[in-house]
Amino acid sequence: MLSAQVVGHAISTHCHASLKGNRLLLCQPLDADGRPAGTPIVAIDRFGAGLHVKVFVSTDGLGARHLVDDPKSPIRNFIQGIID
Amino acid sequence: MRIVQVIGRVTTSLHDPSFRGARWLLCSPVEAADLDSACVRRPALSPQPSLIAYDSLGAGDGDMVGVVEGGEATAPFDHDIPIDAITVAIFDSLHYRPPV
Repeated sequence: MLSAQVVGHAISTHCHASLKGNRLLLCQPLDADGRPAGTPIVAIDRFGAGLHVKVFVSTDGLGARHLVDDPKSPIRNFIQGIID
Repeated sequence: MRIVQVIGRVTTSLHDPSFRGARWLLCSPVEAADLDSACVRRPALSPQPSLIAYDSLGAGDGDMVGVVEGGEATAPFDHDIPIDAITVAIFDSLHYRPPV
């Protein structure tokens, strides 16, 4: 799991079937001090996380396959929770 | 999923039998500063290493694509295939708004 901040969103019409209908957010991973670390990644959002909100992002493929209900989905990253 | 730009194709004549019919893309990571304009104006090549990804979508040169790396890349296949990067989305637009 990564601590990250929502820094935007992505739009894709041509994508894997399991991504259809999902909100795709750009998430900037943060280091232990809350500073940006590395380049932003794209994660599925089912919570309606807003811009610049801190979230935690799962990197677990099994969890993502359950989330999109597709055992053949290659997706890994999804937002697991919004950090208060 | 990482955001990369397609910068070329890779062809092989000798490869694992499970790669038969596969299409491979040479991809360069996109730096955060280039994300917002990446779908409009071709970003500069990244100093980070390029990667080769299995193409499941038919992406072409200059496209911004999402690539999943790791064991999950093999999930869509019915047969065993030794890959660890696959394209899962071609992006129409990217909206990058870092906090100021």
